[in-house]
Amino acid sequence: MGSGRGSVPADILLADLGLVPRLCYNIFSFPSKGIYCEAEVIIQLSWIMSDTLKLFENELQIGALLFLTIVYTIRIIWLLRFKAREERTHAEGSASRGVGYSLMNIAMPWAMESTRRKPGFYAQFVIFHLGVAAAIAATFIIPYAPRLFEIRAVVRVFQGSMGAAFIVGIFRFARRLRTPALRLVSTADDYISLLLMILFFAAGVMAVPNTPWKSEWPLIFFFGLTAFFLVYVPFSKIGHYLYYPFARYFLGKTLGHRGVMPRQRRLIRDGTEDGQGSRSWH
Amino acid sequence: MRRKKIQASGIVNAPLETKSQVKARQDNLGSVAEGRLRTYDPSADNVRKFLDLLAAKITRPLVVSLTACVHCGMCAESCHYFLVRPDDPTMTPVYKADQIRRIFKRHLDWTGRVIPWWVHARRPKDDEDLNRLKNIVFGTCSACRRCTLNCPMGVDTALLVRFTRGLLTELGIVPEGVFNVSRDQWETGNQMAVTEADYLETLEWMKEEVQVELGIADVDIPVDKPDCDFLYTINPREIKFDPRSIANAAKVFHFAGESWTLPRWGWDQTNFGLYSGDDALGGYVARNVYEAAERLRAGRIVISECGHGYRSTRWEGYNWAGFDQKIPTESVVVTLERYLQEGRIKVDPSRNPEPVTFHDSCNIARSGGLVEEPRRVLKKVCADFREMVPNRTENYCCTGGGGLLSMVEYRPLRLEVARIKADQLRATGAKLVCTMCHNCIDGLTDVIKHYKLDLRVVQVLDLVSKALVVPSGEMAARS
Repeated sequence: MGSGRGSVPADILLADLGLVPRLCYNIFSFPSKGIYCEAEVIIQLSWIMSDTLKLFENELQIGALLFLTIVYTIRIIWLLRFKAREERTHAEGSASRGVGYSLMNIAMPWAMESTRRKPGFYAQFVIFHLGVAAAIAATFIIPYAPRLFEIRAVVRVFQGSMGAAFIVGIFRFARRLRTPALRLVSTADDYISLLLMILFFAAGVMAVPNTPWKSEWPLIFFFGLTAFFLVYVPFSKIGHYLYYPFARYFLGKTLGHRGVMPRQRRLIRDGTEDGQGSRSWH
Repeated sequence: MRRKKIQASGIVNAPLETKSQVKARQDNLGSVAEGRLRTYDPSADNVRKFLDLLAAKITRPLVVSLTACVHCGMCAESCHYFLVRPDDPTMTPVYKADQIRRIFKRHLDWTGRVIPWWVHARRPKDDEDLNRLKNIVFGTCSACRRCTLNCPMGVDTALLVRFTRGLLTELGIVPEGVFNVSRDQWETGNQMAVTEADYLETLEWMKEEVQVELGIADVDIPVDKPDCDFLYTINPREIKFDPRSIANAAKVFHFAGESWTLPRWGWDQTNFGLYSGDDALGGYVARNVYEAAERLRAGRIVISECGHGYRSTRWEGYNWAGFDQKIPTESVVVTLERYLQEGRIKVDPSRNPEPVTFHDSCNIARSGGLVEEPRRVLKKVCADFREMVPNRTENYCCTGGGGLLSMVEYRPLRLEVARIKADQLRATGAKLVCTMCHNCIDGLTDVIKHYKLDLRVVQVLDLVSKALVVPSGEMAARS
C-alpha cells in the first residue's frame, strides 16, 4: 500500500487502458494481489464494481425505467380517455398565456396568497424538490458520467441538496403527524411515500461520493431504492409530477380564456390607493 | 406528540328533507314527470346510481383534479370556513374534496381499486353516506374558488364540489331549498317563479316611476323590441324585491341614448344549475337567454349585476347548452364603463360622498375575470373609494355564495364563518359596501345584520344612477 498516493496493480492498468467510461485517480488505495505502482493511474471503474452493483446501476435501472415509461404511457392514455371540456365562448383573455402563467405559477411565490403568507413553507418546497432533482440526477451521473463526482465541490453540492431535503422531509413528516387537518386527510400512501423520500435522500447523500472500492452498499442501497421508486411511483402520490402539468394546463386554459390568468393587476394588501401601497405585487 | 382534539361541525348529520319533493311528485309537475327534475327514491339503489353517474359524467379536468392532490394542506387557510373554525379539520377544502376523491379512487382509479386502504379509497355504503356527502358539498363550501387559486398543484376543488353536487342532484339527494329553486326554474323559466303578468306589470310600474322621477315622458323600458343594440337580462330578485335596479338601469340607458330591450321570455340570467351542479338545468336556462337574443336580433347580451348570473350566462351557459357564442355577452358594469369612457353619460362623484368599498363577487372575479372594470367605474362616481383587504381575486366570499342563501339548514354555520367577512368589512371604515351581485347583496346584508356593522349594501348601478348628471337639454325639456 502506498501512502499519500494510491496504488493499483499494473496488470489492471494494462487491461483497462483505452476503455470507457474511465476514471482518473491520483489518490487511490486498492488492496489486491500482484504488482503495485505508485502513480497517477487510469482505470475503468466498472472493473472494481461487483456484478451485483453493475446490475443495480444499469440493467435494473433500465428495466425499472422502462416499466415506469410503460405505466405512465398507459396512465396518460387512461387520462385522455375521459372526455375533454368543450369551450364555446369568445375569449376575454388568452388561453395560451393562461396556461403559461399557470404552469409557471409554482416559480412565482408572490402569485398565490398561500405561498406569499408562508415563505418558510415555500422555501421547504423548493429545498425538498431540489433534493429530489439532485437525487434523480445522481442516478444518471453515477453510471454515465462518474467523472463529475470526482469533483469534490460537486459532491458537496449534491450532498448538501439532498441533506437539506432530508431535513425538510423530516419536518414535513412531523407536520403531517402534528397538524389535525393534515392528519385527517393523510393516507398510508402519504406517510410511506414521504418516509421513502427521506430514506432516498439519506441514501443519496451516502452514494454520491461514488466510492465502490470503499463499500458498495451505499450504492447498492441507493440504486435498489431508485429501482423500487421507479416501479412504485406511478401508483403512489409521488407520481403527482405527472399530473401537475395537466392540472395546471386545464386551470390555466379555462381561467386564461376568461382573463382571470395571468393576473396582471395590482394586488393591494395595505388598503391604500392603487399604486400607493408599500407592499404591492404585479 | 400532543394531538389537538377535533371539533367537527354537526352539520354533516343534517337530515334529508323531502317534503317538497313528495309534493312535486303528487302535483305531477311537468319537470318531474319528464325526468328533468329528479326526486329522491329511497327504494332505489342510489349508491349504484351514484357510481354509474360518476363514471358517466366525469371529465378530464375533473380526473386530473382528483388525482393531482398531494394533501399538502396549502388550501386550508384560503378557506373562510377553516379560518373561522381552525380546530375543525373537516372544514379544509382538501377534506371536502377528498369525500368525492375517495369514491373516485375506489371506483375508477388504479391503486384505490386494488388496495383501497392505502389511499383511503371508499365507496359510500348507503343513502346515509350520500346524505353526509350532500351536507359536506352543499353545506360547508360556497364554491368560491379561493382554494383553487391557492393550490400549488392547480386542483380545482370548487369544480369537484359542483360535480359532486350534480351527481347528488340527479338522485334528489339535495337540500330542500336547492330542490325548490331548481323546480321553480324548470317550471317557470326563472328561479323565483315570477309570472309573466308580474314581470310585465313590474316593468310598467318602474317605467312610470322613472318617468315621474325625471319628468321625462319618453323614458322607456321596452319589452321584446327587435333589432336593439342589446338585450338586457335581469335577476328575478330585481322583479320581486329590488325593482329600483331596473329603474336605475332604464334611467342610465336613456341618458346614454341606448337602444335596448328586455325579452318577454328568457330574461332570467341567473342559473341555479351552477349551484346544483345540474348542467341540464344550466343549459336550459342559458339557452332561453341566447335564443331570446337571436329571436330579437339583439346586437349583444347585457347581464345585470349578478355574480353567478354573469358567470353562467357569460361563460358556463354556452358550454352547458352546447350553444356557440355568436354575439358579445357582457356585464352591465362593462356597459357602464363604456358609457363613461365614451362620454355618453356624465357623472358627479360628489353626489356619492360616503366612503365606499367594493366586494368582489367570487363568480365575477375568480371565475369571470372582471376585477378592474367595477373599480374604474366606482372611482369615477364616488368621492371616497377604498379597497378592502384582501381584494380582487383574493377577496373573501360574501359567505352566501354557492346557493347557500337558499339552504336554511346551513345558515348557522354560514353566519359563523361570515366572521371573516365581517372583520374585513369593518376594517375598511366604509359606510357603503358596493357589489355587482344580487346574491352578495343578500349575503352581505346577513353579515351586516348578524355582526351589527354600520354599513349598507349598494350596487354599481345605484351609485352611477345617483351620480348621474342630467344633460342640460333634458333639463330644458323638463322645465
